[in-house]
Amino acid sequence: MTVERRAAPPDKVTYARRVIPPALEIRGLVKTFAAHRAVDGIDLTVHPGTFHGIVGPNGAGKSTTIGMAVGLVTPDSGQIRILGHDALRDRRQTRALTGVLPDGLDFPERLTGAELLRYSAGLRGLPRATATDRAAELIDVLGLTKGAGTPLADCSTGTRKKLGLAQALLHAPRLLVLDEPFEAVDPVSTATIRQVLRRFVAGGGTCVLSTHSMLLVEQMCDEVTVIHQGRVVAAGSVAEVAAGRSLEDRFVELVGAEASGSAGLAWLTGAR
Amino acid sequence: MSTELSAPGRLGGTLGAIAVPARMRATMLRRSLREHPGPTVAGLVGLLAAAWLIRYALRGDQHTLGLLAGAWVLGWIVLPLLLGGGRGRVRPAHLRLEPIGGIPAAVGPAVSLVALAALPVHAARYGAVAVLVTAGGAVLLWLLGLIGSAIALEVVGHAGGPAGALLTGVFTGTAMGVAGSLWAVFPWVSVLLVAAPEEVVRAMAYVPSAWPLSAVTGPTGQGARLTATLVGIVALCAAAYIMLVRRVIATGVPFRPRRTTALPLVRRGGDDLAARRGTTAASPAEDGQAQRGWRAWVPAATRAVVGRELRAWTRHPLRLQYLAFAVVYAALLAGLPLLSDVDLLLPWAGPLAVLGVAAMSAGLVGLDGTALWLPLTTPGGERAEVRGRALAWLVLVTPIGVLLAVAGVILAPDVDPLAALSTLPALLGAGASVPVWVSLLRVRPVADPRHPTAADNPTDIVSVLVATAAGLLATAPVLALVIWGPSEVAPLLPLVGLLGGAAAWWGGVWLADERLARRGTTVLAAAGQRSRPPETVLPLTWDLQWCRENTSTAWALGLLTVGWIPVIPQGLMPLAFGIDSGWIVAGHLSGSAHTAMGLAMVGLGVAMLLTGLVLWDRRPQPGGS
Repeated sequence: MTVERRAAPPDKVTYARRVIPPALEIRGLVKTFAAHRAVDGIDLTVHPGTFHGIVGPNGAGKSTTIGMAVGLVTPDSGQIRILGHDALRDRRQTRALTGVLPDGLDFPERLTGAELLRYSAGLRGLPRATATDRAAELIDVLGLTKGAGTPLADCSTGTRKKLGLAQALLHAPRLLVLDEPFEAVDPVSTATIRQVLRRFVAGGGTCVLSTHSMLLVEQMCDEVTVIHQGRVVAAGSVAEVAAGRSLEDRFVELVGAEASGSAGLAWLTGAR
Repeated sequence: MSTELSAPGRLGGTLGAIAVPARMRATMLRRSLREHPGPTVAGLVGLLAAAWLIRYALRGDQHTLGLLAGAWVLGWIVLPLLLGGGRGRVRPAHLRLEPIGGIPAAVGPAVSLVALAALPVHAARYGAVAVLVTAGGAVLLWLLGLIGSAIALEVVGHAGGPAGALLTGVFTGTAMGVAGSLWAVFPWVSVLLVAAPEEVVRAMAYVPSAWPLSAVTGPTGQGARLTATLVGIVALCAAAYIMLVRRVIATGVPFRPRRTTALPLVRRGGDDLAARRGTTAASPAEDGQAQRGWRAWVPAATRAVVGRELRAWTRHPLRLQYLAFAVVYAALLAGLPLLSDVDLLLPWAGPLAVLGVAAMSAGLVGLDGTALWLPLTTPGGERAEVRGRALAWLVLVTPIGVLLAVAGVILAPDVDPLAALSTLPALLGAGASVPVWVSLLRVRPVADPRHPTAADNPTDIVSVLVATAAGLLATAPVLALVIWGPSEVAPLLPLVGLLGGAAAWWGGVWLADERLARRGTTVLAAAGQRSRPPETVLPLTWDLQWCRENTSTAWALGLLTVGWIPVIPQGLMPLAFGIDSGWIVAGHLSGSAHTAMGLAMVGLGVAMLLTGLVLWDRRPQPGGS
């Protein structure tokens, strides 16, 4: 499968490329689970100060790639650099620079939302007053007043996502890695989160997010990487990857699946 | 392809509509009883116990009978919490149009009714009216048990809320403690069965289970008063249950108060954000003098983990259950021998409790699911995680151990407490750190870390044994000096215990650090592995074919069964207690040969047990390749 790469990135990316090392740089990343090769030699470059979307069908290897990038999965081979630091060797430095929201992992479920933020701030050694101020602001902005006083075990999936995002932002990271951040989040909260993330990137931060929503990628991301069967099948700016069509149509074409659903199921429309 | 069903006649259709589901339900019940024989076995055991109670009622003591009937009703209320009733009984989803079934569910009430028939049987000696009155009282007690059991399941059973968890821990700890002290309990029970002591008789006046018999044996007028009180209690319980069910149906959630008051966020400059939102602020203890002391020498990340762990210990139902179990079990194991005037074990209540909590803590990482990702994405998070867990355990368990030990010393002033008190620091050091390592080494995740039930047990016997063995190893120098050392070294015992504890702490923390630093992602992956491989099915009878097909498992079972013989009767008994009966090999030797043979036997047994554990751990899983 050939990887499509196109020239002429937007100005912001070009500038970032010249000045600062990539926020996230992955080379030849491989991960095999038993007989299944989940990630098969992925190369990925995320430029600083950009929004980067990672898309792919279910089981494409997005979460495994993200997990390896942030140190939650050990790769079989490959290189990962975060803002110039070797992520596999200099973990302390790369962890300090990164904020993570994984998908589907548990929290300390007996803590309330506010306690989770305080715990997370404590883990990162934030001064107590700073942590308190930031947590209060994040709770205000993300509309987490109720979730802040509820044990995580009793919070809805959307609230857990927002709390997860709040803890990822708490230490003001330079790279934010979010796995399915908008899953199960209501539209109002989604708009708020998008606004927060835009401000984060506008302030020089970099955001990498995996999602199934092509609309979201089109609206938010500067660049996108399409992963299929553990390999990168397209990467570049959103406009380049879309190649003049909607990103969704292009995505379906890239992953080699026909948008089925137009044939069969005659009984569903009343025809007998 | 189309399938045309033949149209049955009206009668045939009606019969079929009844017969088919009936047959299906009968088949389901038959299979359920075959695959889950628990209710049948419990029913048979219950019937045997009920028969014994009726037999006792014929000639036994009235007050003891009342006590036994009360124990029966209480057991009926509490026992379902321990037998899979952990998620509550009534849920809106249950109000579907489905037939109400379940012969197994009727086993408990039916057997209990038979058991409580012991009361009218006992009253038969006072005439027909007495039988009728007592039978009415027995029915009221039966209703009390029935409603009480339902309330217990709803109120404290759902998702093992803290109260239910504590209750379960206390109950199982009591059961195990009594079972472990049968030698001390039996004589007292024998006395009780012959005739209740005076203090028991006085106390039974306030116990409802004694009232049906008191109603017919007491002075005139007392009968009506006691029966009316019993009816009132039953009516109150019934009203409470109806209100509870209405609440569950109306709100869609079982009775469980939500925690909404923990928003400890206070801005600098006195802008109390929490107060602005109408919620309570941080507890004053947060900024209190007590925390300032340890803040100075514990890193912030470790403090954060300590805080998280202490909250988990006080809120997680299974942690509370384990804690309550270990403490009650230890207290009873040390205290129940007092019934036989043996106070030797009392100072050991503290060390036993510490050892018990350590053993029960050997699977806590699995209990937390994949929450480990947070420290794994934080600079230095692994060290903080290990030390925070160990420190929190120490903060929680040290006061318990010390309190129990001191209470034991006060209650048994004639017993020398030096050995027990000296082992305490050794056990605390090992108990705080080694279980952290064990639970990182052998992660057994629970199915649902958010809402675990009593059925979710993340510990296995190997983890428990390793954690226990580490505690015993840490105390070995103290025990060795107590048994074989000269009396002059006695003042040094606390120091030796302290050193043993420090060494065990250091070793456990180092092992856990190594494990998490080098294999953190492996541990996380194991914690996310929610579906467990099927357990090895062990034959309950001698099966040569099975042994041939499962050689390593058979060897493991053999070694784990036989390995105790060289350790305890052939090793520790002659070495520590000087017991040298005929079949003990060391007993036929003397002097240093006696000691050497005893030690060799201990070594042999330990080697056998360790080999057994290794083989058991590596046994092939059914269906595995």
